[in-house]
Amino acid sequence: MMTIAGDALSPSDAIAGDGDQALAVRASAGDREAFARLLERHYDTIHRIAWRWCGDGTEADDIAQDVAVKLGRAISGWRAEASFPSWLYRIVLNTVRDRQRARASERRRVEAYAVQKLVDAQGGGGADDDPAARLWSAVGSLPDRQRDAVLLVHGEGLSHDEAAGVMGVSEGTVSFHIHEAKKKLRTMMQASEDELS
Amino acid sequence: MSDEFDLDILKTVKTPRPDAETRDRAMREALAAFDDEKKSAATQGSASGSRLMTILQWSWSTTMETLSKGRLMSGTAIATILAVPLAGYLAFMVMNDGYRPGFTGSQPMELAAGNTDDRVRREVARPAPEPAPREAEERDRSIVLSEAMPQAAPPASYVQQGALAKRSLVGDGSAKVMPGMERLSRDRFESFETSSVRAVLEDPVSTFSIDVDTASYAVIRRALMEGRLPDPDSVRVEELINYFNYAYPLPDSREAPFGVNVSVSPTPWNADTKLMHIGIQGYDIVPAERPAANLVFLIDVSGSMDAPDKLPLLKSAFRLLLDKLDARDTVSIVTYAGNAGTVLEPTKADEREKILEAIDNLQPGGTTAGAAGIEQAYKLARQARVEGGVNRVMLASDGDFNVGASSDEELKRIIEDERDDGIFLSVFGFGKGNYNDQLMQVLAQNGNGTAAYIDTLAEAQKTLVEEAGSTLFPIAKDVKIQVEFNPETVAEYRLIGYETRALKREDFNNDRVDAGDIGSGHSVTAIYEITPVGSPAVQNDPLRYGETEQAAASGDASDEYAFLKLRYKLPNETKSHLMTTPVGPAFDKASLAALSTDAQFSIAVAAFGQKLRDTDAVANYSWDEIRELAAGARGADPYGYRSEFLRLIGLAESLDR
Repeated sequence: MMTIAGDALSPSDAIAGDGDQALAVRASAGDREAFARLLERHYDTIHRIAWRWCGDGTEADDIAQDVAVKLGRAISGWRAEASFPSWLYRIVLNTVRDRQRARASERRRVEAYAVQKLVDAQGGGGADDDPAARLWSAVGSLPDRQRDAVLLVHGEGLSHDEAAGVMGVSEGTVSFHIHEAKKKLRTMMQASEDELS
Repeated sequence: MSDEFDLDILKTVKTPRPDAETRDRAMREALAAFDDEKKSAATQGSASGSRLMTILQWSWSTTMETLSKGRLMSGTAIATILAVPLAGYLAFMVMNDGYRPGFTGSQPMELAAGNTDDRVRREVARPAPEPAPREAEERDRSIVLSEAMPQAAPPASYVQQGALAKRSLVGDGSAKVMPGMERLSRDRFESFETSSVRAVLEDPVSTFSIDVDTASYAVIRRALMEGRLPDPDSVRVEELINYFNYAYPLPDSREAPFGVNVSVSPTPWNADTKLMHIGIQGYDIVPAERPAANLVFLIDVSGSMDAPDKLPLLKSAFRLLLDKLDARDTVSIVTYAGNAGTVLEPTKADEREKILEAIDNLQPGGTTAGAAGIEQAYKLARQARVEGGVNRVMLASDGDFNVGASSDEELKRIIEDERDDGIFLSVFGFGKGNYNDQLMQVLAQNGNGTAAYIDTLAEAQKTLVEEAGSTLFPIAKDVKIQVEFNPETVAEYRLIGYETRALKREDFNNDRVDAGDIGSGHSVTAIYEITPVGSPAVQNDPLRYGETEQAAASGDASDEYAFLKLRYKLPNETKSHLMTTPVGPAFDKASLAALSTDAQFSIAVAAFGQKLRDTDAVANYSWDEIRELAAGARGADPYGYRSEFLRLIGLAESLDR
């Protein structure tokens, strides 16, 4: 099992801080107050991760709520040798993915009814000027694993090794996904710049 | 590197604040879930139910809340879609417009579109036209959110405004379409996480209970047949594997009621790992020797059972089962709906006409009072008890128990008490739409029974007739497996499936801890993917401090992979027996082809299930390769189950993106 030291993550974003691991140990042993503090401390982080991954405020609220309840259920099964932050990331990402998967299959069914897609004429309305927001939107259209890798490493500031722990793959795989993602993003960003000019 | 752009600017994307009210509610629900979890851990101690502890469970209240929201919307959505194609199209548009997660929408860029503040505010300010009373709460929430927007939005955050605007622009409807769309189908499945790879040095021992349920296979088959990929939470890989009959060899001596077959072979989806395949084969009880059976059919005849694939199918199914019984056996029937009632007092199974008449007269109607029905059924079972025989309540339902004062916990407790008293419970699930998989699983697991899902008469034939012996007559109970891996030969391992059956290490030797049963003629399969020491597939880096020395110290230079231990009790015993098998190089097979076709087929099913769960390990193993492996191992397949599986692979492939 990998371990992420508390201060290895970007300190300002502070998914981990002093005492997370200790709180988690106590919470897993049934300490209600420790669990409340832990959740209190990380709820905003959970919400932030959910929002970055799904890009919708209401959806992020729903996901954060789901995750909070899941944590309440699962914390007793958490084991001290696992790093709390990477465990938390994993639960949030799984929840996001499950919801998106469920929705994707739903949409496929509905799309059968929409015989032809209306051209998104009124949509779009020109790309945003903020390069970060444009890039972030483009990242969202990447395949799941590439998106996860890019957002974990570049959005959340994890090392490749830590991201590997969260995604349950090897470090090399993370690097590969990021490499692939960069290739795609370069093309996408280029294309959107052409549109702008 | 020639980066034209800096990916790290992603960190600067502004994130909106969480909704304060949702946050409070989430905190409350999480703490409630935490308390529930603690309570159930405390009341059940280390005994029954503890194998469920590691599961990520939805709290009941959350599920119910989501469901009621979901039903409200999905009802409307379905009606609209079915009634007029145009309306369906509009619903589609609303969904696409009103709910765009950005990442799955066709135009991710739009999310960042520069909506002018004026337009956003105007739309927000306009009150929703005559909201229905039930929408009031939802509307309040959305208004609060919208009002909170100005201060929540930092000036430069286009993205955030875009996201909020999306929601406000379409009005209240969108807020409810979302949860509804996700759960158009109200079937409930427990969520769980796929087992992760474990390092042998840190965690050398793996413990789990066997699982002979098959419900998951029928559920995913139904989903695929209807043209959708199954909910990943509905895919329990071990249940897919154990759906099929495998004829593993039986040992020569009959000391134990079953044989254990182990082999180590290459992994089809990863050249750098191996599969440790464990096949358990139970002896078949000769019909003449089988114990007498006292069966109580507990049949749900509530209004929700009034569908062709429910009560009528159930009647046909029990007719089939009746053919397998004879004068030694007794049958009783209890129904529940409104008032629970006894339809048939204990009757000898050879009085076919009387029994059939009772079955034929079952009529759907009323709501479900599951708890009263179960109590009544147990009463009849005690009344007709066969000492030394099989005493079993056979519950058939679509799983809607939540009427009356019954709580899940109380129901579970009743079932556990009766189980300890020798009356077991099997569960047969029917229908879809509000099938409560989680509850059915919990009931069957706590009642020493199997849970099967019956969606066609063919499935009824398989479960109730061909496998009547294994369904009805256990030859061993509380069967647990513990594997200790040798750190000198195995670096990492991963148990495929059995997530919901994990046991604590110490539970293995605790005879009070409940586990799965093996029926007459049953086979059970468990597969580990193991990574040999030195393989490039090792995922966990070695520890920097200490561990290597420790490994060297243990060195009796053993070349075994693992030590397999298995505990079971005979049906009427309370003390367990232990079987052990050291798994050494002698169990090695050079290729997959050297395995029995049954083992090969089970591996193909394992790959299929993992792919449906979107497990990383099989990401690069194609549907085609799975089909090839399964087709090569199809064997005689007299009933066509394996051929059907091949068709399911094709369906899954065509639906997978």
